[in-house]
Amino acid sequence: MKRSRISHTIVLFLLGMTVFCLGLQNLSAQDNSKNKVRLKVDYVKIINGDSYLDISTGARIDKKNVSVPYLDLLIYNETEQDEIELGTITTNPKGKIKFVLPELRSMLPDSSQIYTIKVAFKGNENFKRASKSVSFKDANIAARLITKDSLNYISATLTDAYSNSPISDEHLNIQVQRLFNPLKMGEEFNNTDDKGMVLVPIEEGIPGIDGNLLIEVVLNDNDTYGTIKAIVEAPIGKVIIDESTFDKRTLWSPRDKTPLFILVFGNFLIFGMWGIIIYLIVNLFRIKKV
Amino acid sequence: MNTYKALVKDLAPKKFHKKDQLWMLFLSVIIIAGLVAYIDQILQGQKVTNMNDYALWGIYISNFVFFIATSFVGSVAVAILRLTHNNWRTPLVRIAEIITVVSIVMAGITIMIDMARPDRLMNLFLHARLQSPITWDVVIIPTYIVISLLLLYFPLIPDFAILKNYFRKKKPKLSKWYGKLALNWTGSPAQKAIQSKSIKIIALMILPVGLLLQTIDAWLFSTTYRIGWDSTNFAPYFISGAMVAGIGGLICVIYVVRHYKKLEKYITDFHFDKMGKLLTLVCLIYLYFNINEYVIPLFTAKKGEATHLDTLFTGSYSVLFWVVTIIGLVLPIIVLLFKNGRKPKSMFFIALIVVIGSWWKRYVIVTPTLLHPFLPIQGVPESWRHYFPSFHEWIITISTLAMALLLITIMVRYLPVIPIQRTADELGLNKKEQEENIEL
Repeated sequence: MKRSRISHTIVLFLLGMTVFCLGLQNLSAQDNSKNKVRLKVDYVKIINGDSYLDISTGARIDKKNVSVPYLDLLIYNETEQDEIELGTITTNPKGKIKFVLPELRSMLPDSSQIYTIKVAFKGNENFKRASKSVSFKDANIAARLITKDSLNYISATLTDAYSNSPISDEHLNIQVQRLFNPLKMGEEFNNTDDKGMVLVPIEEGIPGIDGNLLIEVVLNDNDTYGTIKAIVEAPIGKVIIDESTFDKRTLWSPRDKTPLFILVFGNFLIFGMWGIIIYLIVNLFRIKKV
Repeated sequence: MNTYKALVKDLAPKKFHKKDQLWMLFLSVIIIAGLVAYIDQILQGQKVTNMNDYALWGIYISNFVFFIATSFVGSVAVAILRLTHNNWRTPLVRIAEIITVVSIVMAGITIMIDMARPDRLMNLFLHARLQSPITWDVVIIPTYIVISLLLLYFPLIPDFAILKNYFRKKKPKLSKWYGKLALNWTGSPAQKAIQSKSIKIIALMILPVGLLLQTIDAWLFSTTYRIGWDSTNFAPYFISGAMVAGIGGLICVIYVVRHYKKLEKYITDFHFDKMGKLLTLVCLIYLYFNINEYVIPLFTAKKGEATHLDTLFTGSYSVLFWVVTIIGLVLPIIVLLFKNGRKPKSMFFIALIVVIGSWWKRYVIVTPTLLHPFLPIQGVPESWRHYFPSFHEWIITISTLAMALLLITIMVRYLPVIPIQRTADELGLNKKEQEENIEL
């Protein structure tokens, strides 16, 4: 009798274990079936403009890297004690979004003046939860156009915003804004000197609308400071002469801008021919009446 | 025997015999098959054709260009011969006028067949841009149709009056129709003056309009920058080609009509000899423009054009190219230089070869160029590198040719193929009899 009870207990135990394991396996399978989201976050500061996060979301599905659109993301300002929510945002159809940060002075850095921003995704039925943090110190670029011996230069100084001390030996890109890719100026590496300065000559004859060039000084994707960009408007370019024929009467214009010689000659032929045709048809009636 | 009565009897339209009815039935069957294929093309779209991203102008456009070319016969055989006072043209002009009307109408129909959405035809007028050669084509084709109809109709008016009287007792219904079309023609000096003046205007007008039509057709191609079409020589090249196709078609129809209507007395060996000489002349002109079109690029062609020329001279289209050039153009010139070559029967076969050659020549002009686009053909099915018309395209095209022949047959049945009044006037036949309005 006792033996039977023991064996009964063992069976019940095994049965229970099986159900438990199956349940666990099911839960694990559900979790495994979800894909992992990869978050890419870059901090960008435009001098005299906004500071923002460039966020892109992707995943590796079926051995292919794809972007993940329409993900709801939470943005936090992380401090040593707390996380302060800065806002929420949803990625665009290409899985990208720009989140404009509030002014840095309204956010809290840690004791070494490093700001940490966390981008978090809570997870959904297709993707697991994920988060990514980006840390940076605030820095400034003071850029201006100077002319020496009839030559134009861009002078730029890179300084730490908190200590106001120059940042030396950092590479700055000096480039002119163009439609597709910027046109780089100066040498391959324009490193800041002890005063945090670079001086780069600007070539003559670069075309710009009304002769204005937008020259960018960029500290690009720096480990400590992120991306800092200063834009200088320089009226030193070659004036672009607008050669667009959009408002002109050309062979390739829409029909309300047909060249006059075609309008005149074409209509002369059409009305001339059809005028004679009408005269001939009238002659048929005249023959009948006669 | 050369009386006015006999003349009218000879030249008045005659009832169709069994053979003629069978011919009509045969053509009707082809047309119905083409109609079925066309309805299927409208329902399924142009996927039933073998046209694709590259060969976007297929056999329909070749056929369209052929019809346009053939319609030029009205300008050549009627206007030019009239303006140069070639009186031997009289028994031939009516058939030339009929071919002109039928060809230009069929050209209009063929271009609509090529449109994937014929229901949008009106958009060509509503949204026309006067800068576009397509718009010029849209304008010139209806204009040429109307002028061709007037060219056919004005000289017919006196003949309708004659036929009205001729059929008064025999076929009153038919007589009534001819009477309506005769516009109360009595042959009064006032009527003759208006008619004569109108015909003169039309003859003067159809020449520049015909030249415009052929030129616009050529410019449709040459304004596209495409290899093989980008040529300043294209308009005269097309005009001379149109003369060849038109005169060739005219000789073929004249021979058949003469044979079946027993008109040997009116259309004689002399006329064939003259037409033969005219065909030789236009073939020589066309050969000259062919040499210009193909030999100069042989020296100056850049890579793309050189590849295109290779395709024509030694490549996949070489057999067709040399056949249409040598058999369809050079051989007829050689044969027609001999007097025996200008006899009716040999002329018929030569003209038939010229017409068939002209049709395939349009195919050689249209297709190979499309298969040599500016950028290499890549990333598409292998079949897209080549073009050969589908069953739908063939049957529809053949049915348009059958429709042209049917229209010519119907016109030949009901219209006097040789101008009665003019022939009588030229022969100086009994004026009194004419005035009495004979009834047989």
